[in-house]
Amino acid sequence: MNARSETKVVHGWGSEELPQPDSAGAFRTIHADSLKAGGRRFAMPIHLIGFLLVAPALAIVVLLFIVPLVSSITGAFDVGGAFSLGNFTKAFELYSRDMLFTLTIVLMSSALIGLFSIMIGGYLTLGSNPRAVAILRWIYRWPLFIPFIVVGQILRTFLAKNGLMNNIFIELGLMTPLSAVSFLDWRGIVIAFVWKQTPFVALLLSGAMASIDRSTIEAARNLGANRLRILIEIVLPQVRTTLLVGLILSFVTMMSVLSVPLMINAQSPTMITANMAFRINAYRDYGVANALGLISLLMTSAVAWVYLRQTMREHSR
Amino acid sequence: MERSIILARLCNKGRGGLSQRGISLNAFLEVVNARVLYGQNEVLKGVNLAVEKGEFVALLGSSGCGKTTLLRSIAGFNTPASGAIRVNGRDVTGLPPDKRGMALVFQSYALWPHMTVDQNIGYGLKLRRMPKATIEARVTEIKRLLGLDALGARKPANLSGGQRQRVALGRALAIQPDILLLDEPLSNLDARIRLTVRHEITALQRRLGITAVHVTHDREEAMVMADRIVILNNGEIAQVGTPEDVYNRPASDFVAAFMGAENLIELSAVTKGDRVEIAAGSFNSAAVASARGRTLSGPLNARFRGESVELSDAGGAILSVQGDGSLRLSGVVEQTSYPGGLWRHVIAVGPAHVIVDSPRSFEIGRRVSIRIPEEALFLFPKQ
Repeated sequence: MNARSETKVVHGWGSEELPQPDSAGAFRTIHADSLKAGGRRFAMPIHLIGFLLVAPALAIVVLLFIVPLVSSITGAFDVGGAFSLGNFTKAFELYSRDMLFTLTIVLMSSALIGLFSIMIGGYLTLGSNPRAVAILRWIYRWPLFIPFIVVGQILRTFLAKNGLMNNIFIELGLMTPLSAVSFLDWRGIVIAFVWKQTPFVALLLSGAMASIDRSTIEAARNLGANRLRILIEIVLPQVRTTLLVGLILSFVTMMSVLSVPLMINAQSPTMITANMAFRINAYRDYGVANALGLISLLMTSAVAWVYLRQTMREHSR
Repeated sequence: MERSIILARLCNKGRGGLSQRGISLNAFLEVVNARVLYGQNEVLKGVNLAVEKGEFVALLGSSGCGKTTLLRSIAGFNTPASGAIRVNGRDVTGLPPDKRGMALVFQSYALWPHMTVDQNIGYGLKLRRMPKATIEARVTEIKRLLGLDALGARKPANLSGGQRQRVALGRALAIQPDILLLDEPLSNLDARIRLTVRHEITALQRRLGITAVHVTHDREEAMVMADRIVILNNGEIAQVGTPEDVYNRPASDFVAAFMGAENLIELSAVTKGDRVEIAAGSFNSAAVASARGRTLSGPLNARFRGESVELSDAGGAILSVQGDGSLRLSGVVEQTSYPGGLWRHVIAVGPAHVIVDSPRSFEIGRRVSIRIPEEALFLFPKQ
C-alpha cells in the first residue's frame, strides 16, 4: 500500500484516478478473493484474468491511438513502399521557414500568455479593489468558451486593413486611412493565440494562487514587501509548476491549431498545421504530411521533456 | 491586593476605566475603543487596551472571542470601523502593516517554502535594502540566538515543527520590531515541545526587552508566559490583570469559569456591612465572606476549583456555621477516577454535580462534606 501511494506521488499530476500499471499486485489480491468466494471451478491463471479485465481498455488505446500513431510515424519514412528519409528532405526543403515560423510564433505566444496570466492571476489574488477583482473574475474566462475557428473569424474582421480596429483608430483621428496596415500576418496569429489561451492558463494559475497559504502573503506584507514583490518573490515561486503545466498544455494546443493560421495567415510563411492540410488536400501527399507531423511531435516532446524533468526534480527534493 | 481589585473593577467597567488606566500607566501600545465589523457581524465591540514598553501581554479567550481579530487590527491587517491604535503616542490606525514597527508570527508560521532558512530570516532586511554583508551578519546572529546555526541552507519542508516555529520567530525578530505579535505560535507544536518553547520565547522576550502581544486559547500558556492577561469574551474585554489577579480574583462569572472554577453551585445571601452572609440551604451550610466593597444579595452563582477545596466524610451537624466561616457542601460520591497525583470525584450536591480532587479516594455512594475556604469561593450575582 505504501509503495502504491508513493508511486502516486511520483506520477503526481492527474494520475490519481487512473489504475496504476504497476499496481498489478492489487488486482491479483482482489481476484484471488473473488476466486475463493466463487469456488475453484474457474481455475484460470490469475494474470490471465487480470489481462482480460484490462483488455477492452487496452484494445481501445491500441486501436485508436497507438496504431494510427505508429502508422503515421512509419508513413513518414515511407517513400513508394521503401524506407527513406526523402519525406523529411522534402519537408525541410519546402517548409523549413514555416517550421521556424511555427516555433517562434508558439514560443512568443506562450511567453505572452504566461505574462498576461500572471498579471490576471496576480490581480485576482492580490488586488485590493473588490469590485475590480469581481469584474475581472467574471470577464476573463469568456474566451475559453469560444472555439478557435470563431476566434480566427472575429479577429479576421477586426484586424484586417479596413477592419474594425483600424476604422476605430481612423475615426478617432489616430491614423489616416493611408497609413492603415493589416495585422493579418504573424501578429494576427499571436494575438489570436494569446487571446484564446490566456484565460486557460490564468484559470489554472489563479486557482493555484488562491490555494497557497494566505498568511505567506501577509507575512511578506508585514515585513514591507509591496504587491509586485509579493507577486514575483512570494506567490509566483509557489505556483511555478502550475504555470509550467499551463504553458506546456497551451503550447501543445497551439501547435495543433489549424483554423487560426488558415483564417488569419493563409500565405507563406505559415504554420506547419496549414502545410500539412495543404499537402494532404492538394497533393494527397501523406508522406510529407506525416514527416511534418513527426517534426511537430518532436517539438511538443521537447517541451514535455522539460516538464517531466522539472517535476521529477521537484519530487526528488 | 487592594489596588489590583480596584484595577480589576475599573477594567471591568469598560471604556472609561480602562483608558484612565491607559493614561495613568506609560502606555507604549494603545488600543482605544476599537470596533471591528465583519459584514454585519460586530467582532470587536469597543476594546480598550494599554500595553507598557517591554511588557508581555497575552490575549486569552475561546475561539471566536475576537482575540485574533484584535491582534490583526493591531498588526494592520484589519482596519477598525472606529477607534484608534497608537504606538508610542503616534496614531497608526491608517498605516499599512509594515509602517507600524511590528512583526507578526503567524499560527501556521507562514514560512516561504521556496526560500531557505537564511532567505526567510533575511527577507525583511532585503526589503529594507540593507547591504548584503549586514544582512548576513544579522541572519547569523539571529540563527545563533535561536539555535538554528546548522540549518541555514535548509528549506522549511525539511525542518521539524519546533525548528519552523523558531525560523518564524527569527524572521520576525530580524527586522528588530518595537512590538512582537504572536498569533497562537505554539498551537501547532507537540505538547512536550510546547512547554519548552513557552519558556524559550519568554526568556528571549525579556532578554531583548521587546514588547509582545501573544494570542492564545490555552489558559496555562497565558499564565506561564505573560506579565498581564487580557481575557476576551464575545468581542469585549472581560478582565485585564496579572496571572495571579485573574486566577484568584476573577471579575466575573465568565472569567471565573474560564480560569478553571468550573464547579457551580447556586446560593442565596444578604450583604450586611462588609460581610456577605450566605444562608444555609438543603445542601450547604451557612457561611460568611468579606464583602470587599460588593453588595451581593439574593440568588448567587458560587464557583470554585476542584483542587482548592477539602473533601471529608460527612460529619453530624455540618449544616451549621463553622468556626472559620467557610462554606460546606454535602453530597454523595457518584464516580471516582485517578488522573494522577490526586483522586478525582464527581459528587452530586443536590441537583448539581461538582468535581473535587482529594489526596485519598472516597468510594462511590459515600456521603461526603466539601469545605470551601473563603479565598477559594467566587461569588457573583446570578444573572
